[in-house]
Amino acid sequence: MAKLVLTLDGDVLGYHFLEKGRFSIGRKAHNEMQIDDSSVSKEHAAIVTVGNDQILEDLGSTNGTLVNGTVISKHILQNNDVIEIGRYQLRYINQKAQAGMDFDRTMMMMPMPHLQRGRNHGNTDTEVVEQVDTAVSVARAANASFPLGGVKGLEGTHAGQTLELSRPLATFGKHGVQVAVINRRPHGYTITHVEGKKPPLVNMRPVKEELHALQDGDEIEVGDERLAFFLKK
Amino acid sequence: MTVRSALEVATTTDTGVVRSFNEDAIATELDLGLAVVADGMGGYKAGDVASGMAASIMVEELKRGLRANAPESPTQILQDAAEKANRAIFQAAQANPQYHGMGTTLVAAVFHDNQLYFTHVGDARLYRLRHGKLTVLTHDHSILHEQVSQGLISADEAKTSHNRNLVTRALGVEAKVESETQQQAVETGDLYLLCSDGLNDMVDDADIELTLTALQANLPLTARQLVMMANDNGGHDNISVILIKILTPFPAVEPSKGLMDRLFGWLK
Repeated sequence: MAKLVLTLDGDVLGYHFLEKGRFSIGRKAHNEMQIDDSSVSKEHAAIVTVGNDQILEDLGSTNGTLVNGTVISKHILQNNDVIEIGRYQLRYINQKAQAGMDFDRTMMMMPMPHLQRGRNHGNTDTEVVEQVDTAVSVARAANASFPLGGVKGLEGTHAGQTLELSRPLATFGKHGVQVAVINRRPHGYTITHVEGKKPPLVNMRPVKEELHALQDGDEIEVGDERLAFFLKK
Repeated sequence: MTVRSALEVATTTDTGVVRSFNEDAIATELDLGLAVVADGMGGYKAGDVASGMAASIMVEELKRGLRANAPESPTQILQDAAEKANRAIFQAAQANPQYHGMGTTLVAAVFHDNQLYFTHVGDARLYRLRHGKLTVLTHDHSILHEQVSQGLISADEAKTSHNRNLVTRALGVEAKVESETQQQAVETGDLYLLCSDGLNDMVDDADIELTLTALQANLPLTARQLVMMANDNGGHDNISVILIKILTPFPAVEPSKGLMDRLFGWLK
């Protein structure tokens, strides 16, 4: 599946996967990708999928749409294209738009030639590969597009505080006594019992199943905490 | 004290959202403190054959090696087992046209005498959570890792690379394979994670660390949550997870009184 990598001044802000059909980009919330910034038009651009092609179209935006530095009105996207929308850049990643290979499948490839330099050419079996302490993290975190919500502490540890739950999970309660985890997921938030004899309460009722869906305004009791759950917007 | 009673273990493997088959294989043998994750590749269901062979051969060879009368070092046993698995998969691939080109990544761990011995080939990983900090103990044998370690791209740029699934080593692809084997001391309270790249490709290390730290009181739930997060982020690949928590020290029983100790240990 193709994806767009949204950047601002070189900082990665998030990833968006391009589904089949029409994908619109603009300042208003009804767009598939909302970029809430004055340099972006209400409906700025759209990407339409036709077969294996994904075609970017400017929708008559005020500041225009650029691909790799050139103003476009319509453009068939190629892997690694950089789209500029207002102050933002979108990098288009779709291996199928270029190489025609299934890159999600693990494949074997010979090491890059650079690594062979400076090695003893005679005896490959006993060579020691240079150790590098860089842990390469390649995770494609998609959760920037998940709904955003949080909890208000009514009683207990977080009383009087409002916590935005932007991470994939957060735990509440007391370790060894009663703990629940609240998950941020593609379609909203869920709550699950983690430890303790009794499950947490939602609106006074014990949570029976794993991943119980939370609704805006739900009241949660876990450990010594009482929390009001809210969804933004 | 046997190794088994010193470890709490949770395992799970999942097809993911996108694939139709699960070509990962996992295996544990808790009496001997063994855990193996393999991620197969190549051909229609051939990846499944390669990873299945890797997991079963690793466990059988490790069992045989560790139970021998005069056992070699666990490091040597791990290397020999990986070589044997490589040979068997390579030969099967040569002998059967439908298996041609199959291979598998591997990460295998042996917990023995308060030590962790581990080996890996390809991009299957072993992580350690100690005092709330997550560390990758393995270095991926992958193009992406090479690109970053050679400074061709930054670790940040690696996130947009399309080389994420290109491994530079795998079991069964060539007649010989170089596995990387290491050893380190284990501490009570450590939490180890063996996984296929279907996890760390979809869930970044900070979120893995958060999950292990926050949920480890319920290890089966921790494993399910890791898989769920990978699937929530797209689930592009099969996801396999083995979690091992160190509950107590596990010094090796002295051979001279091994039988009596084992007998009394069993009676307790």
